[in-house]
Amino acid sequence: MSEFSFHIGQEDQLTEKNYDVVVLGAGPAGLTAAIYTGRGKLKTLVIEKEAIGGEAASTDWIDNYPGFPEGVGGVDLAEKMEKQAKRFGATVLYGDIRDLDLKSQPKTMLVNGEKVTAKTVILATGTHPKELGVPGEKELKGRGVSYCATCDAPFFKDKNIAVIGGGNSGLQESLFLLKYVKSIKIIEFLPHLTAEPILQDRVLEYKNVEAFPHHRLVSINGKDKVESITVENRSTNEKFDMKVDGVFVYVGLEPNTDFLKDQVKLNDWGYIEVTPDMQTNIPGVFAAGDVRDTLVRQVATAVGDGAHAAVIANKFIEDLEE
Amino acid sequence: MGLLKDEDKKAIQGIFEQLKDPVTIVHFTQELNCDYCPETKQLLLEVADLSDKINVELYNMQTDKEKVAEYEIDSLSGLVPATVIRNEKDYGIRYYGIPAGYEFASVLEDIVDVSNHHIDLEASVLQKVQAIDKPVDIWVFVTTSCPYCPRAVRTAHKFAMANDNIRGIMIEANEYPQLSMQYSVQAVPKIVINKSHSFEGAFPEPQFVDEVLKALE
Repeated sequence: MSEFSFHIGQEDQLTEKNYDVVVLGAGPAGLTAAIYTGRGKLKTLVIEKEAIGGEAASTDWIDNYPGFPEGVGGVDLAEKMEKQAKRFGATVLYGDIRDLDLKSQPKTMLVNGEKVTAKTVILATGTHPKELGVPGEKELKGRGVSYCATCDAPFFKDKNIAVIGGGNSGLQESLFLLKYVKSIKIIEFLPHLTAEPILQDRVLEYKNVEAFPHHRLVSINGKDKVESITVENRSTNEKFDMKVDGVFVYVGLEPNTDFLKDQVKLNDWGYIEVTPDMQTNIPGVFAAGDVRDTLVRQVATAVGDGAHAAVIANKFIEDLEE
Repeated sequence: MGLLKDEDKKAIQGIFEQLKDPVTIVHFTQELNCDYCPETKQLLLEVADLSDKINVELYNMQTDKEKVAEYEIDSLSGLVPATVIRNEKDYGIRYYGIPAGYEFASVLEDIVDVSNHHIDLEASVLQKVQAIDKPVDIWVFVTTSCPYCPRAVRTAHKFAMANDNIRGIMIEANEYPQLSMQYSVQAVPKIVINKSHSFEGAFPEPQFVDEVLKALE
């Protein structure tokens, strides 16, 4: 068939004011939680700030999520999870949260300006790509510096680009970028790439990919658009320039918890601290997926977290009503 | 062979159960020098087939000059295919390029809103939008594989529905490299207001309207 795909979904409307469960974030953790609470006949609202599917939606291909022997597109997986959550009655909508009060019971917040209450809240707000903090990054953001390959790859057709970060995200997205670009230079700070070996093999077999482990990105250079990067060989301390038109950044993640600072306990890096049952320090408030304090951030682990949080949230509501 | 799969059609029909009043898709196309014209036209015809409340008016960009002028399609010269979604009123909802991938959902949501004369904005935002008394063109540059883009497109279209001075215009950046280059589009969504003020990212509606107001200062 054709090269086209068609995303079919429709944003729900906010029709109720009082919910059993409000889930913040419609990534794999949040949507899984909604599938479980929906099946538990709990009135469930899922609110998303940016993109249904979260980071998974901007991942071109997910190869390690069980049940899809050939792998699955991030978009496709997100769409399926959203459909499944809606099938069990969850309301899924885009919205802004203001005046969040997690300590009251029920918990309260303004969703797109409307007051909403919730017996429990599941925080599944995920992460966003970390910025590099090198000179030139801020100035050239959107002018060759990108954090979303699936969004912006088409602008780099037949161009030479750099991918910063040799972890799973950097290499997975390099595979997608290779459909468009002329060449990729992968810059990795550590002495070796850290992506899964199978992914490294697949990317590095391309003749137009070159990896520079043990190199530090010093700056991104250019006047109105990216023209080159300066890197430093960490073994020899030698600095040199590479001519590139684009820089895709995959150097890790930061939690979306700024708005939670005075509400729940966060660790030193801003991730939400939870018990093994996904409970935060506030009764009736849970956290699941990439936003919580964990060493592993995968779709598979987010899904597990979401299910776990939902089951315990259900129990919390039962106890509340006894 | 159809572009939409049978299961897609079923899902869309489910969404279209919410349609109330008739919706017209006005579509401008041409035969030559347009990579995505055939598919865009086919897609819209397939969509219209799924509800008797949707009609399609097809026009030729080159020969139907009157209609091109009426809808001011040539305000962005040479951009084809172009699509308008309207009811008895043209709100200023425009799509330049194929609304495939993520943007297909924007089309479906627009059709439902237009059919129901429904403007889905919170009161404080709606008030600010309706107070705008100067012409505003909001261009939203997208790619069809950008999950953050539909929110920006929909916001622009909701603003257009809320105020006759505003047009909300999706532009599929890939199809119009010259225009994209002219406005330095290298990351999407990129929003350009009245050809001058611009920002990147899917801002929430309250911030989005503030950007529009900034552009008018």
